[in-house]
Amino acid sequence: MKRRLFIKSVAGGTLATTLAGTEFLPRFLGGIENACAFSFTKQLSSKEARFYKRLESGGIECQICPRRCRVTDLERGYCGTRENRADKYYTLVYGFPCSANIDPIEKKPLFHFLPGARAFSLATAGCNVNCKFCQNWEISQMRPEQTDNFELSPQAAIDICIRERVPVIAYTYSEPVIFYEFMYDIAELGQKSGIKSVMITGGYIEPEPLKALLPQLDAVKVDLKAIREDYYRNIVGGQLKPVLDAIIQIKNSGAWLEIVYLVVPTLNDSEAEFRDLAHWIKNYIGIETPVHFSRFHPLYLLKNLPPTPQTTLERAYEICRAEGLEYVYLGNLPGHRAESTYCPKCGKILIERRGYQILQKNIERNLCRFCRKVVPGIF
Amino acid sequence: MTDQTISIVYDSMSRVVVVRSERPSEAKSPSVGVFMTMLEVGLNELTGMVQVTDAIKKYIPPGVIGLKVNCLTRQYNSTSVALVEALIALLVRNGRDENDIIIWDRTSNELDGAGFKLNLSSFGVRAFGTDVSRFGYSREIYSSGEVNSLVSRILTEEIKSLINLPVLKDHSIAGLSGGLKNLYGVINNPNKYHDSNCDPFAAQVLGIAPVKEKLKLTIIDAFRIQYNGGPGFDSRYLTEYGGIILSDDPVAADTVALQILEHLRAAHNLPSLEKSGRPVRYLATAERLKYGTADVKNIQLNVKTMDSQGALHEGSLF
Ligand code: SF4
Repeated sequence: MKRRLFIKSVAGGTLATTLAGTEFLPRFLGGIENACAFSFTKQLSSKEARFYKRLESGGIECQICPRRCRVTDLERGYCGTRENRADKYYTLVYGFPCSANIDPIEKKPLFHFLPGARAFSLATAGCNVNCKFCQNWEISQMRPEQTDNFELSPQAAIDICIRERVPVIAYTYSEPVIFYEFMYDIAELGQKSGIKSVMITGGYIEPEPLKALLPQLDAVKVDLKAIREDYYRNIVGGQLKPVLDAIIQIKNSGAWLEIVYLVVPTLNDSEAEFRDLAHWIKNYIGIETPVHFSRFHPLYLLKNLPPTPQTTLERAYEICRAEGLEYVYLGNLPGHRAESTYCPKCGKILIERRGYQILQKNIERNLCRFCRKVVPGIF
Repeated sequence: MTDQTISIVYDSMSRVVVVRSERPSEAKSPSVGVFMTMLEVGLNELTGMVQVTDAIKKYIPPGVIGLKVNCLTRQYNSTSVALVEALIALLVRNGRDENDIIIWDRTSNELDGAGFKLNLSSFGVRAFGTDVSRFGYSREIYSSGEVNSLVSRILTEEIKSLINLPVLKDHSIAGLSGGLKNLYGVINNPNKYHDSNCDPFAAQVLGIAPVKEKLKLTIIDAFRIQYNGGPGFDSRYLTEYGGIILSDDPVAADTVALQILEHLRAAHNLPSLEKSGRPVRYLATAERLKYGTADVKNIQLNVKTMDSQGALHEGSLF
């Protein structure tokens, strides 16, 4: 099957649900002889999970994320992807992603990490929170037997990157923390083959597994969904504090870090919140950390709210710039000037973007071409 | 007495019937025949009607009937195949078409493991899981309180009425696994609703529109009860109670089931569920939401015991 033909044939199907900019990954990539590698399967994995402990009272405690689910025989944790079988804990999604596409890295969004690079983007079913605005709820809120999965070993994922000349693998769409073992093994193999790994996450992860994972990662984008605990409790179904701790840990690890804040009308869009966010970033991870304010679209359980007004996003931008943050972006506003990167010193355009396209780039070895200011990131 | 007078009398109280078998030889594996008798007694007592046909008519409207079983532990402690076969025999004997009966659970694999014969054909009783490709889950999200779920299309599209056939057992988080907890098996994301000992979620599942509309009867398999270490199977805590619990009030059925479970725990020197950190608050929540009765004072309980000769007596719950 020719690649273009295949892309056409999946349009409207499960692989075609993502937005513009995506190259749909051909299921028969590399020729028909590899077809079996991309056939949908009902099989789930039975790989022993990492980071759990057996409890004296029976059952196990999962220690991957702050939920610390206590799970007895035949039951699953909150994310629905891990199962206790006779007090051994298993991940059911290792090597069984439900989404695989090649996206521009800008779509993640990562703006200071290999601009213009393509990223082989993988996800499995499941998530450890339940955001009422989730745009990928059809995979994130499912159990793995409810999505169309295909078998893909870590080595096969790396082989695709090499064959397709894709320099980056992104763990994304749902929540990679819940497919930790799969992500970890791909990232580890990727390092040996020069393929970089980026995690697109809500940052709801315990310090120990994060510490073990970070050396395998080159960049992390964290969706910091709000700067208020009650929003995390009521809208996300999680907690803010562990996310803030994880962000600091990522920053200190040296992995490249960018933050996204989805602005949801009436729920997390006050000026006080934007100001508090700016202060926190300034105090804990530094003004050079890129921050993306993203426009909300009514989806999933928040269909009753309108899309974020452009003026609200612009207000967030202004407040953060006024507070000294150097790289502030506005997302889901195609054509807006705040999609581009400007030099905080000379004000000239460093990277001009339109949507996911790079129109011009004025950074040379991490320096502004005009004033030689250091531009943080991996370029 | 006419049907109407009965319903007037019973409307003020929720009615629960427990039928117990004292036949020692039947204790481990009761026959379909024994279960049929128990079901007949239970349905008659529940409705006050002499004819089972009338009792079935009272609850089950014409159309396809779903029997939601619980097969989590496969062959070990799932809803008894003999109990389900007995119910089917009663339904068929009373004019229902075999093919209009569907035994279902989350997955065909679980059903198969519990000993149900899978059948998707147009002949005989059907049995399959939500996971068969032509069913799956609804596209629409159904919401009830904090529960937002896709619902098995077997429930939303295929059946007209639902008989819930759970197994009574202990649950490591919910405390009680009975009828309400078994309804977690009709939604796609039960894993999201175990916080706070499943409260208020287990109650709110009853408010999901197709559940509310179609759930007609709860028949809890309480023949062998695992009073601790559930919901997985642990033979150390299995005891024979020899009963079934019937009610058209799912909350009342679970309330009585909880009394039995707590009694068995106490009898085996185990702390109450409350003291074990697993208080069953979701029943009171369900009552507050007006889905049924959780106050024993408002439950009219009727216990019948079948002795080893098959004769019926007034029985006791414990
Ligand atoms: S990773 Fe999943 S099972 Fe583990 S603690 Fe988090 S939600 Fe629970």
